[in-house]
Order: sequence, then C-alpha cells, then structure tokens
Amino acid sequence: MGGSITQRTAVAAAHDVELARRAALGERAAFGELVRRHSSAVRGLMRRLGADSALADDLAQDAFLTAFEQITEFRGDGTFQAWVKRIAARLFVRRWRRDKRTDLVAETPDTPATDGSDQADAARRIDLDAALNTLTSAERLCVSLCYGGGLSHAEAAEALNAPLGTVKSHVKRGLDKLRDRLAWAESDDQAGRPVNG
Amino acid sequence: MAELEFEARLDRLFAQAPFFADAAIFAIQIDHRLERGWNVRRLLIGGLGLVGGLFGVVQVVSSGVLSRAEMLSAQSSKLLSQNVHQLIPLHLSFLDLPFGREVLGMSAALAAIALVLGLTRAIEEI
Repeated sequence: MGGSITQRTAVAAAHDVELARRAALGERAAFGELVRRHSSAVRGLMRRLGADSALADDLAQDAFLTAFEQITEFRGDGTFQAWVKRIAARLFVRRWRRDKRTDLVAETPDTPATDGSDQADAARRIDLDAALNTLTSAERLCVSLCYGGGLSHAEAAEALNAPLGTVKSHVKRGLDKLRDRLAWAESDDQAGRPVNG
Repeated sequence: MAELEFEARLDRLFAQAPFFADAAIFAIQIDHRLERGWNVRRLLIGGLGLVGGLFGVVQVVSSGVLSRAEMLSAQSSKLLSQNVHQLIPLHLSFLDLPFGREVLGMSAALAAIALVLGLTRAIEEI
C-alpha cells in the first residue's frame, strides 16, 4: 500500500522523458501520467482544428493510443506534448481527407457572423478559439496545423495533399484575420477593464 | 519584428490548454482502451498458438511418426538388453571403481543440485 503511494508520487514527479522511457518498458502508470498531463492540450488542438467534441475526443484518444504504440520512437528531442500533438494533427488530417468535409479552395466562412455583443464578449477574454471561429475552415485548419500541431507549411501541404502555395496563402490570410481580431479584442479588453481605486 | 512577436504570441496562445472538467474520465477511458487492446492481443496470440499447436499435433499424428517411434523404441530396447547382457559378464560394478559409494552418492547429489539450479535459472530467463 505504502509502496504504491510512493510509486504514484514518483510517477507524478517524474519528467516527461523519464515517463516516456518507463512507458516504453511497459509501465502503464507512467503513460497514464503522460495522458493526464497532456490530454487537455491534445483535446483542445482537435477542437481548434475544427472537430466537434465527440470526434475531437475520439481522435485525441486514438492519438494517445498511437503514441503508446510508438513510444520507443519518442527520443526527447522535443517535448512529449509537441510529439503527441503532431500525431493527433496527422490523425485529424487523415480523417479530414477521408470525410472531405472542407474544400481547401473554398473561401466562404463556415461560421455565421455573430452580432456585436457576442463578439465583444468573446473578445474581452482574448479568446483564441473565438478568433479561430472567424476564419474559414481551410484557414483555420492550416493555421491550427502549423501553429497548434507543429507542422511546417510543407508538412501540412503534404498531409492535406494540397499545393504548398495554397497552404501558405491560407495561413497568411488566417494570420492576418487573427492579428486584427486579437488586436481588436485586446484593445477592447483594456477599454472595458474596470479601474480599481 | 511585429510579425515575429505576433507569431510568438500565437504560439503561446496555442500552447495554452483549455480546461476540461472531465480530464480524469478521459484518462481512464484511454487506460481502458489500452487494457482492451492488450486483452485482444493476448487472446489473438493465445488463439494462434492453440491453432498452431493443434495443426502441429495433427501433422505429427498423420505422418505416422508415432508408429515409427514405437518401432525404433522396440528395436533399441532389444539392442540395449543384448548389450547389457554382454556387459554383465565383464563384472562391472561400483566396487571396482577407484572411489567409494559415499563419493558416488555425493557426486550424484551435487549433480542434482546443479541441475535444479540450472533449471531455475532457465525458467527465470524465460
């Protein structure tokens, strides 16, 4: 009993690389700790890529199962979270290509424009997710793959089976919109902040 | 410069994980899926081993190897008994050996211990 508590404490205190090494030796508790530490980031990424909650969680679970299968390939060059996010991003793209829900050439925003009060409410929190909702699916996908999933433009283009130029232009347009949106949200946040004293 | 600052800011925003109230349940679900995967793998390996074993047994039986082994056994026991009969007249006995029964018994005991140790080590290695 005492040994079990000590073991749990040791797992909770261990570094990600150490946990991955132990998981590679078959220690499920070590991998469980990695899941606890990074699942929220992976689930968040799936949503930011455009998956609904159920699909996002399914893909995040698949990503962790794949990570467990391939854990010996994680050498600790980057962070574990970045590694598992790349796996998750690739799984999402595979599903996206299978379902073909979004046409990368389409430029129409998928989310209807919200009214001013909704925008202001979301913007006060400088909410990245709200800002991403203003992008087209293709822009959102490309920006999230490159900035959230850690893929390079070339890797994203290869994964999406799209021309590199198309991906780059989607990223650029997406970044321009996010810059405007986040700058506006920040100024709005500062203007709306209550003054103390 | 502003571009780099914005990209760094975006990186930081993307790195911020949202809060999920059901994070613990999510981790348990993954653990269950891992467990299920292991069970399926164990069953698959066990099933394949059983099928392979049965196939091997059928092959051995159908090849008539048992009757041949029986025949060989009969021949060898016959040969052995003939040779033993030939050896007996040589008066080969323990009393003729250059050491006593105690030494022989001790050697046998040591050999048995060595065998047990070897078997234990082999089982540990497996």
